Amino acid sequence: MTQRASQDIHTQIKGESRLTLRQMESLMGYVLVAPLLVCILVLVVYPFFFAIAISFTDRSIGAGGAFVGLANFEYLFNQAAFLETVRNTIVLVSVVQISKLFLGLGIAVLLNLPIRGRQFWRGLILIPWAMPAFVAFITWKLMFVPQGGALNYMLIESGLVTTHVDFLGTRELAMPSVIVALVWRGFPFWVITFLAGLQSVPEELYEAAALDGANAWQRFLNVSLPGIRHIVLIVILVSTIGTTNNFEGIFLLTGGGPSNSTMTFPVFAYYSLQNLNIGEAAAVGVAMLPIFAMLAFVVAILLQRDES
Amino acid sequence: MFGKMTRTQKIIVYGLLIILAIIIIFPIYYMVIISLKLPKDIYRTPSLLPVNATLANYEDLFFKEDFFKNIKNSFIVASLSTIISVSLSCMAAYSLVRLRYRLRTWIGRLILFTYLTPTALLFIPLSVIVARLQLGNTAHGLIFVYLTFAAPLSTWLLMGYFRGIPIDLEEQAMVDGATRLQAFYRITIPLAVPGLIAVSVFTFTAAWNELLLALIFITSPDLQTVPVSISYLITGDVFRFGLIMAGSVSAALPVIILYYLAQRFVVQGLTAGAVKG
Repeated sequence: MTQRASQDIHTQIKGESRLTLRQMESLMGYVLVAPLLVCILVLVVYPFFFAIAISFTDRSIGAGGAFVGLANFEYLFNQAAFLETVRNTIVLVSVVQISKLFLGLGIAVLLNLPIRGRQFWRGLILIPWAMPAFVAFITWKLMFVPQGGALNYMLIESGLVTTHVDFLGTRELAMPSVIVALVWRGFPFWVITFLAGLQSVPEELYEAAALDGANAWQRFLNVSLPGIRHIVLIVILVSTIGTTNNFEGIFLLTGGGPSNSTMTFPVFAYYSLQNLNIGEAAAVGVAMLPIFAMLAFVVAILLQRDES
Repeated sequence: MFGKMTRTQKIIVYGLLIILAIIIIFPIYYMVIISLKLPKDIYRTPSLLPVNATLANYEDLFFKEDFFKNIKNSFIVASLSTIISVSLSCMAAYSLVRLRYRLRTWIGRLILFTYLTPTALLFIPLSVIVARLQLGNTAHGLIFVYLTFAAPLSTWLLMGYFRGIPIDLEEQAMVDGATRLQAFYRITIPLAVPGLIAVSVFTFTAAWNELLLALIFITSPDLQTVPVSISYLITGDVFRFGLIMAGSVSAALPVIILYYLAQRFVVQGLTAGAVKG
């Protein structure tokens, strides 16, 4: 109250403006945020709800589509290919994320040791992350090729196998191969953020733990991990959203094949759209909404806590 | 954390680092080597060494396949979407971090949610909207849809930057008689230049690397961006190894040069959540 009063007095003294300072500030706030807000409402918020609406219609290119209730979802969940997509997505995301977590933690701890040239190693590790994702996946695709690919060349030259291995063309090997490529591309970011977290853990805490007789492993468990728990959690969640929606990795490596063995949500939705079945394609997207919403919600809570 | 290492520990640690380096470097080495080889050398005398190195693939790529055109398309789309989204988000981020008004927290939350919203959820409704606006298969249309990820990304990153700039200097300027707006563009913007550079680099590379939307919205070969044109090279059963890898090297180079030039700023900007990958 007193603050407002003093502002009013201030305004009266100035005499030129009819708005209080606080009103000025809030007006300027809205004016500055408005262009972006409009852009986001038109380009993200509206399409988001539009997708949900479309998923309940039999819309196709050129035809408006009528309301069909849950027919698209019923159709999807009765399709073997879609159920396989759900299963693949779960397998792919969990294996990739767990691998990145262990690699990320392990390598971050390694780089946090008193080693020579830490800057160099950190720069080196960032390479897979800094190069365009599609370039990384295309290179892996060619390395996996049976005739002329690097991996087959090395396996045969070293005598480990006698016939060419079709990494991306066989049902059993396609998924593990895709996982390897996705992990290669994805782990650097985890290492660098975990390393940044580790370096912010005060040295005294380690010294105190060492004085108490804790060995290296115990120091990792009781000092390092709690110190970076928060950053680890955020990276896992944000990256899980990204990995679940990774399109180009699977699309470029296998296109979802052979016979759907690496088909995931985004690629499935892409093909539905190519078949001009917009309602069905939208239903694929909407079917994964609950997972996305849950993850995004937790991230929001965590980051909000960060700010305050 | 571990204090001094013993000799054995050192051997193990450096051994692991060297294995790691090989795993990281090998695909990149392979990409470069293959881009320098002719098809007959790849199939008849396979080798991982640069035997009979030639720039023929690059010549084919740029003069027969007219890769310049794709680079130009990518450059136009990526730079325009970066300029638009960084200008919009610079104002918005300042407003959300520094100014107090009723809906601020809610708008901030909305931006976080849009930042996390995956493109895979949005490309279907966007295809209907773009068709309705008759923006399909145009560079404008692609720039328009690229703002769906570029705008939330740059706003989210810039909010982090503005939070890190001390408020005292602005307040000092205002005490000295500057208005809010003057304080914003005379004090805060100059201080945020490193942040603006880093955010521009992130936004530009995100747009430069984007495949899904470009694949859906661009159908004519004349408008294809770099990722689309390269992805079309790998359809079919016989791969033109050298050509594909020459394209990959050429696509990666601008991004790597950009990161190298902006290194100082980018490393500062590498906070958790900077990239969804």
